Amino acid sequence: MIQAIAFYLFATLTIFSGAVTILARNPVHSVLWLILAFFNAAGLMILIGAEFIAMLLVIVYVGAVAVLFLFVVMMLDIDFAQLRAGFIKNFPLGFALAFVLLAELVMGVGAYKAGGLALGTPDAATAPVAGLSNTAAIGALLYSRYLFLFETAGIILLVAMIGAIVLTHRQRGDVRGQKPSSQISRRPEEATINLQPEVGKGVTL
Amino acid sequence: MVDLIQYLPILIFLGIALALSTAFVFLPMGAARLTGTHNPTADKLAEYECGFPAFEDPRSQFDVRFYLVAILFIIFDLEAAFLFPWAVSLKQTGWAGWATMMVFLAELVLGFIYAWKKGALDWE
Repeated sequence: MIQAIAFYLFATLTIFSGAVTILARNPVHSVLWLILAFFNAAGLMILIGAEFIAMLLVIVYVGAVAVLFLFVVMMLDIDFAQLRAGFIKNFPLGFALAFVLLAELVMGVGAYKAGGLALGTPDAATAPVAGLSNTAAIGALLYSRYLFLFETAGIILLVAMIGAIVLTHRQRGDVRGQKPSSQISRRPEEATINLQPEVGKGVTL
Repeated sequence: MVDLIQYLPILIFLGIALALSTAFVFLPMGAARLTGTHNPTADKLAEYECGFPAFEDPRSQFDVRFYLVAILFIIFDLEAAFLFPWAVSLKQTGWAGWATMMVFLAELVLGFIYAWKKGALDWE
């Protein structure tokens, strides 16, 4: 009962916020609605028992990817008048793309009516271990059988990190950073001097 | 299969939070409308900000270093996300799984050292 109510709540909100994401005129508002859609999708994931995916959706998509989207949207210098000016010119291409997407949707609904997918039966090595939670079952497979893919993901992350640093990091020459060791080891005697200058004469420093 | 009843308190809290935040927004508005005189003019509703124009185009370009910080955050966020299933499944994967994660962490520590030495984490 509660499960059904929660499902309809999350599903309705997901579809609604997804629609507003497309329809909102302000791109920043679009991203905020997208974040709401992510949250509700996480709720749906919990309802079908995929706890880890749900938490991942919140941590990675809401916490990181959506923030990055906001960054990109705010950084882009969009001139809306110029964008709208190209609308007529690019209309055939846009229409073709929309048509392809619509055809995919229709085919998707058709495939849904044709019945469930006949997935291969899991062999002994990939069958979920009984009595394990969803997260532990993922871990048991990811860190033994799919170890190579996991390490490849690590390498990809490393490449992404180095690439981002190489592309965007600029060293400014005129910056004086902190040097904690020399700053702490400085004594008052070497930093200050006492002088008694005579009247009418300056001080050389 | 998860026992969904465990998540019921969170759903209830979600409902309470929604009701409370709605009340905090609309209750003062209603109270003000009922008790005070409601007579807005254009000058009363205008924002006042001293020293700089209150409204300008938000799409001004800012420093790309914010983007670098966000990218580095995402990468380490993903790394942390991989740690959760590893931690709960160590009993199944054993020493091989432990070694797998150590190699993964070594790869990212390499990147971390690179970022540190390059000064990508310094704000200047």
